Amino acid sequence: MSDTTSGTSVLPSGRSGDYVRWLSLLACVAVIIVLPFVFRDAYWRGILTICAINILLAIGLDFIFGYAGQLSLGHSAFSGIGAYVSTVLVTSFGFNFWVAFVCGVLGAGLAGVLLSAFAVRLKGHYLAIASLGFAVITYQILVNWISVTQGPLGIYGIPSPPSLSIPGLPEISFANQQMYFYLVASFALLTYIVLRNLISSPIGDALIAVREDEVSAASLGIYGTKWKVVAFGVGCSIAGMAGCFYASFIGTLVPDAFFITESFMILAMVVIGGRGNLWGAVLGAVLLTVVPELLRGIGDFRLIIYGLALTFVALFLPGGLSGVIIQAMRRMGLAVSGVKGDAHV
Amino acid sequence: MSDVLASRTAFGGVPARRLFDVRDIGKSFGGIHAVRSVSFELDEGIVFAIIGPNGAGKSTLLNLLSGNYQPDTGSLTFDGVDLAGMPAYRRARLGIARTFQKIRLFKHLTVLENVIAGFHIHRQVPIWEYVWPSRVSLADRRRWREEAQELLSFVRLSDRADAIAGSLAYGQQRMLEIARALATRPRLFMLDEPAAGLNNAEASFLLERLDILRQRRMTVILVEHNMDLVMNVADRIFVLETGQKLFTGTPAEVQRDPAVIAAYLGEELH
Amino acid sequence: MLDLLPILAQQIINGLVLGSIYVLATLGLTLIFGVLGQINFAHADFVTLGAFAAFFAARLTGGNYIFAILAALLVGALLGLAINGAVFSPLRGQDETRPLVATIGVSVLLENTALAVLGPVPYVFDSPYSNQVIRVAGMFFTVQNMLVMIVAVLSIGALYMFLKLTFLGKALRALSQDREAAGLMGINQKQLIALTFVIGSAFAGLAGAMLGPVLVLTPFAGASVIVKAFAIVIIGGFGNVEGTILAGLMIGLIESFTTQFLTPGLSDIVVFGILLLMLAFRPTGLIAERREENV
Repeated sequence: MSDTTSGTSVLPSGRSGDYVRWLSLLACVAVIIVLPFVFRDAYWRGILTICAINILLAIGLDFIFGYAGQLSLGHSAFSGIGAYVSTVLVTSFGFNFWVAFVCGVLGAGLAGVLLSAFAVRLKGHYLAIASLGFAVITYQILVNWISVTQGPLGIYGIPSPPSLSIPGLPEISFANQQMYFYLVASFALLTYIVLRNLISSPIGDALIAVREDEVSAASLGIYGTKWKVVAFGVGCSIAGMAGCFYASFIGTLVPDAFFITESFMILAMVVIGGRGNLWGAVLGAVLLTVVPELLRGIGDFRLIIYGLALTFVALFLPGGLSGVIIQAMRRMGLAVSGVKGDAHV
Repeated sequence: MSDVLASRTAFGGVPARRLFDVRDIGKSFGGIHAVRSVSFELDEGIVFAIIGPNGAGKSTLLNLLSGNYQPDTGSLTFDGVDLAGMPAYRRARLGIARTFQKIRLFKHLTVLENVIAGFHIHRQVPIWEYVWPSRVSLADRRRWREEAQELLSFVRLSDRADAIAGSLAYGQQRMLEIARALATRPRLFMLDEPAAGLNNAEASFLLERLDILRQRRMTVILVEHNMDLVMNVADRIFVLETGQKLFTGTPAEVQRDPAVIAAYLGEELH
Repeated sequence: MLDLLPILAQQIINGLVLGSIYVLATLGLTLIFGVLGQINFAHADFVTLGAFAAFFAARLTGGNYIFAILAALLVGALLGLAINGAVFSPLRGQDETRPLVATIGVSVLLENTALAVLGPVPYVFDSPYSNQVIRVAGMFFTVQNMLVMIVAVLSIGALYMFLKLTFLGKALRALSQDREAAGLMGINQKQLIALTFVIGSAFAGLAGAMLGPVLVLTPFAGASVIVKAFAIVIIGGFGNVEGTILAGLMIGLIESFTTQFLTPGLSDIVVFGILLLMLAFRPTGLIAERREENV
């Protein structure tokens, strides 16, 4: 069984695929709109937002790990960079939220590009450890550079994005939990669609070629280094985006939120959900956000379950849960398209 | 025997271009010379076979030409471009394609996806334009799929287009690798022991395909053990022994040369 | 100026002691990587569990430190055998990131299970030697520190002799230099690999027994060291025993000096800065392809 499902879509190809694609999109939008009405209390609406943030983190990592095949163990560090850059610009320098947001995203993306350009000659484990080392350094900088980041004490009172005034509609305040969820969820959906488009394009061809066999990819004119750097740039920018939203959502920012164990959680989401087909990462993110909440009563056992689940999936289910689902669908006779070019959701 | 063969004309009367100029190429590994002082010149449209006993350095030589290895000594010029220090992916972009001795397909992708990967080299549209599918990019995609299907029918794999590459029989995988390399529309096509592991029927089919490429005036460098194949398709043969040139000439000349026969003592030449 | 000397010397000794522990903790990683090309992410948790084994063994025997060390060695060895059998052996030949990801899961599992069982409160591991102090030339050494150095030197020396003089040791070295050739020589790879895990993880346990009295002993003691352990193995050169020893001592010294003369948090940055520099500029033995990849 292959480790990844190389962009396998559960949708049929061709014209009927188009209709199903649009339908799925509409369904996603509908689900997003409806969710805050299903969960009306503040706590669960918060979970929804965190879930959307985790989806951003997971699909960003899947782009790097699942598609380009680069094992990055320090993904949360880029989230932290995005969070701190944008927050400091807003709280200390009075920047407009969205300008700071862009800066945060670019900062995280740039860091990703630097790390990968740096580590690009490294294979498998070396890259993994370099990324880990990078994450540790980033964390230490966040903790120790007190004049800028306030260190472990953290930054308080981070404002929400400014309200949106569209003529003819009531003013949308993002201090409102429901609206904030819609904001993050929209970004998550848009990001997902963009990534999907990239993957279905020759860009995806190149990334997957580099992942599968860098040497023969080179014989086809595909430059491994460039594509690894692209993957990191894109994936880490998305992590930065998630970090920005996280900071303004929680309202306070401490370095501990980006400790390396958080990176392992994101990795777990991608691995358990199934890497290499994007919706697996979404599945993993949703599961690993929601299930621990349902198991709240068991407290610290949830981390034990994470560990167990991650080990189990890595050992026995290389395709993750999405791999299991796809296999089941094939066994049921449903035509599951393996042709990457037609895979769209 | 002069190293410079009388140029085979590409279009009646017009001399073919000098495509590859290899001078004094050498490569050692840990003190052992795998290839030493190899020189030859290659004109467009020629099928150039490199043969030699096991361990002669044939694959090493091919790797030096393709950019997977960098030479310790000597120079390589491809169509006037100096290849010194140029990595493999850039040589591919210049028009040098290759297959590998140990099959290097994208085993988890489908047959069609493998070939389409070969078209990537022709991508003109910059990365950010793929963020939202446009008519141009979709048209490109469609065209590539059609051309990929054509290549697949050239190697008789049309009916396996949606199969996972790793599930193909060995001989079919070899042909797929060829189809994928051809997708890059190369000017020089290098094959590293393509007939290895093929049965007689498959080897005949390969010979047929190579002959068609030759008729279309594709320049080919062929590293091969299978003498049947070599004698039937090559215009010129370069015999390598312990990393150095032993002889070079037409198939007929090679079969008659005493030094070559001695080197191949016990092995059949035809 | 002269009164700086004892401080310097003290830091050097401290650095060497710390470095020795690091070397013990990371030798296993190097050995395993040399032979298998894989990283056991749970290795540092073996160190932690070794420390706890030593702690409880000491408690059980009323403070017998020798017994504690033996217990730690045993626990380490068993853990090594277990993880080889459960993770590395079944996944031989598969995608190389799978064992790494699996061992990340094991690490999380071990740490949090230990947390659930042992609680978050640090255990005070008092070796009978921690409080005995020798004073030489204005410097203070605890007997514990001396013990650590002696144990480290002895065990590393024993490992050396094993690698250089015994057949198994040579086979191990052959395997780590060229997996294919070693296979041809009729060496049973599976058994050798299992042996490597036993030795390497036993060393981890030993490191834990040494670390227990020195570090804050919680279930996460290993996690704090793991990233540094990787740094050491990379800087020293994966699979390179001498390099690891050198790097471990070096890191110990660096940490000792930066903690004394700068802020403690900075030592991590310095160490990882060096790590990243090494990865960037020192290609020998650090990049996966030591020579051009055989195509």
